[in-house]
Amino acid sequence: MVQNNPVGRELSNAKPGRKVRLGSFFHSAHLNKFLTVVLVVTSASVVNAADSPAVETAGDMKYWQSVDSGAKEAYLEEEMPPGIQVVATALDGPVYADADGRTLYKWPVNALRNGSTGDREDGPSNCTDEVLRTEVGFMSPYPAGLILPYADQGVSCAQVWPPALAPEDAEEVGKWTLVERENGAMQWAYDGFPLYTSDLDKKPGDVLGGTKITSGGDGGVVREPVGPPPDIPPGFDVISSTTGRLLVNDNEYSVYTWDGDDLNTSNCVAECLDDWTPVRAPEITAGSGEWTIIKHPSGINQQAFRGKPLYTYNKDTRTRSFAGSDVPGWHNVYTQRAVTPPDEFTVQDAAFGGQVLADSRGKSIYIYSCRDDSIAQLACDHPDASQEYRMAICGDGDPQVCLETFPYVIAEAGATSDSSLWSVMVIDPMTGRRASEDQEGSLRVWAYRERPIYTYSGDKEPGVTEADAFGEFYGRRNGYNAFVLRDIYSNSAFRR
Amino acid sequence: MTHSRTDRTAFRLCPLALFITSLAATGAATAELSEPYQKNGRIGYVLTDKAWVIYEDDGLEVQCPQGLNASGVRQQFAELFPMDDGQEWTVLESRLMREGRMWHPETSPEDFPYYEAQGDIAYGLNLDGKVDDNDYISPEGEEGIDNQLQRAIGCTPGWRSDGQFVHFESLFAIGHGYNRWMIELTGVDDLVNDDDVTVTSYRGLDDLFTDATGDGFVPGGTQRVDARWGESFVEEMKGKIVDGVLITEPVEAAKVPWAMRFVGYYNVLDFQLKLKLTPETAEGIFAGYVDVKQWNNRLNRNWGTHHQSYGTVSAASEYRAMRRLADAYPDETGANTAISGAARISLTQVYIVHPDESGE
Repeated sequence: MVQNNPVGRELSNAKPGRKVRLGSFFHSAHLNKFLTVVLVVTSASVVNAADSPAVETAGDMKYWQSVDSGAKEAYLEEEMPPGIQVVATALDGPVYADADGRTLYKWPVNALRNGSTGDREDGPSNCTDEVLRTEVGFMSPYPAGLILPYADQGVSCAQVWPPALAPEDAEEVGKWTLVERENGAMQWAYDGFPLYTSDLDKKPGDVLGGTKITSGGDGGVVREPVGPPPDIPPGFDVISSTTGRLLVNDNEYSVYTWDGDDLNTSNCVAECLDDWTPVRAPEITAGSGEWTIIKHPSGINQQAFRGKPLYTYNKDTRTRSFAGSDVPGWHNVYTQRAVTPPDEFTVQDAAFGGQVLADSRGKSIYIYSCRDDSIAQLACDHPDASQEYRMAICGDGDPQVCLETFPYVIAEAGATSDSSLWSVMVIDPMTGRRASEDQEGSLRVWAYRERPIYTYSGDKEPGVTEADAFGEFYGRRNGYNAFVLRDIYSNSAFRR
Repeated sequence: MTHSRTDRTAFRLCPLALFITSLAATGAATAELSEPYQKNGRIGYVLTDKAWVIYEDDGLEVQCPQGLNASGVRQQFAELFPMDDGQEWTVLESRLMREGRMWHPETSPEDFPYYEAQGDIAYGLNLDGKVDDNDYISPEGEEGIDNQLQRAIGCTPGWRSDGQFVHFESLFAIGHGYNRWMIELTGVDDLVNDDDVTVTSYRGLDDLFTDATGDGFVPGGTQRVDARWGESFVEEMKGKIVDGVLITEPVEAAKVPWAMRFVGYYNVLDFQLKLKLTPETAEGIFAGYVDVKQWNNRLNRNWGTHHQSYGTVSAASEYRAMRRLADAYPDETGANTAISGAARISLTQVYIVHPDESGE
């Protein structure tokens, strides 16, 4: 059962006669609408849609922006070669793209447990035309030499990650340089790293080959989209999250805005300053673009973004926090948020200490991540890739067990999404691959960034995430992670 | 008083001596419940160290006469898929097959050797109130100790006192805020003898209070209750204090956060505490039954194949052993699903701040 969380309620759990008085655990004065989402009562043994009246609809969520918002991250213009352009994307902000609009990625070298791969800064491309046949054993503890599932298909790194080739008369400019490939062709590099496109990206704005969200090393050596620097003053940073581009200070502490302020005017004085500290601006500086320097009533210069004065929250004890936005009227700041997910999704408080995206019944959503252990570290988490990896984890190789253990999230008939990140895919559940609409047994399922999403049979209540980190290396290498929106104990370590 | 990591290491290395020190009731009144650490019959403690406890003082020759388990995931893989004779194996038939069995374990017999711990002595409690053939004797001589977990994992290096699970999980007990587990005693008239106290567990929100070295834990800190997300870790128990030792009545289940990274906990059935109390510390054990599937889930999510290989652990083999030795909570087929065990825990006094007291 899912209930609203009244103030000073009594909690009951599955044990008859046992009640624990928790007193005023929730202070109404500090609850905003979002905070009062759900209370998971542990007596619930199964998730029942009929018992879930209080789950919040996605449209009310604080993490996202509407499709009509139009908020986009401003960026610093850099010199670019002819044929290179900047494309706005839904999750990762502005990225560089080739003349056809295909996002450009880099593949920075990274050390795995037993070796390293990727491209070294100012070095040549290590993503070659060599046909991949075996694993290299960089991922402990399995040895090198195991034959890849696609070994007989003649797949090479450069097929999956076509190099961004430069014309013969190309000239280096700014951060853009040229590196020579083994066959003599010239390849663009940005900031010292060779660039590639992804065979998954089909249209401008697609960023299906990777994300700027930080990856754990054990997840494999990943590709990251490259883009121009965000247009932010010194002292700030923008980090990619599952909900967009979060503005933080240069120590990665969150910054906030307050509804009580007026345009370019701070009204946060007296007691307000007990909890909030204006983000100071230098004495001699000038605003530009979306940034203005305002005079706080105390006399100091204060940074304002899009006309809203910025603050840090004095009670934030960890970086990338959303705690300040639990206070009514206060909000985290993004340069751009992701567009709201489809309406049938919900947000749930999770026992790990944070919030997850959930389905309409409140069951936690899981994303599946996979990279093989070839020298190219190719992704295997897309329906067009080898499904053997996922099938092993979700069902010991048995598709039926997979369906029972990690069922797809079925899309309702006619379901659509305002967000380009979300789509409905038709999947053959026995193969995990795409299927045609009329194929017998095919399923219409929700997908995020063109990867189907799942729930877990072991989650018996909303807010439970028993399959977070389910799979090889915390699920990052080959496995499932919860769709985490906020994680208070881990500095909001967003799972990619 | 400071309780340093050196102290905790000593506890691990010489558990018997410290355990006896902690729990053997001498009858001496060791502590009065006095200011400043208590208020209105209330005193709190926060967890600073924890590990599933294996009695090791009788030596390997008694406990593991066949030697320690040496057939972990790496060794099993090498045996199943030799790479030195030119034979090739596919990822599917080797690595992924092994991973599949790890995440979907079976109880069917396997050929790999797995050594169960021998010996007669174990820490723990008499959970079922009986004295059975497979029960242990406590270091203090109490019969009927239920600790089949020791039998199951006692000869596996990763779980022993010098194993990497114990080492790293102790570190993460300190460093990972998710693991901030605490208890609060209320209705305490006397910290030495009180026949009716209430013990409530919570998860805390704050870092531990350390001394200037950062290496020792100091009483007198504060911990805010994680009221919003930590609800499932709240458990209320009744107990009594006899000669300075708190013992609680079993509760149906208690959830103890126990994560290396993001996730993990143990859901301990028939949970009980036995702790030697002072105004500054609480030392002792919790005991109960752990659901074997939940154990396997937590193990694999926190310690993948790579990590298991460094403690010669094989989750699939361990699951078989634990199901074989499980001694409670039978399923519909009559097979037991939960295994008895005990964890040693160290706690330091802390002021527990409830939401209505924190000003938030």
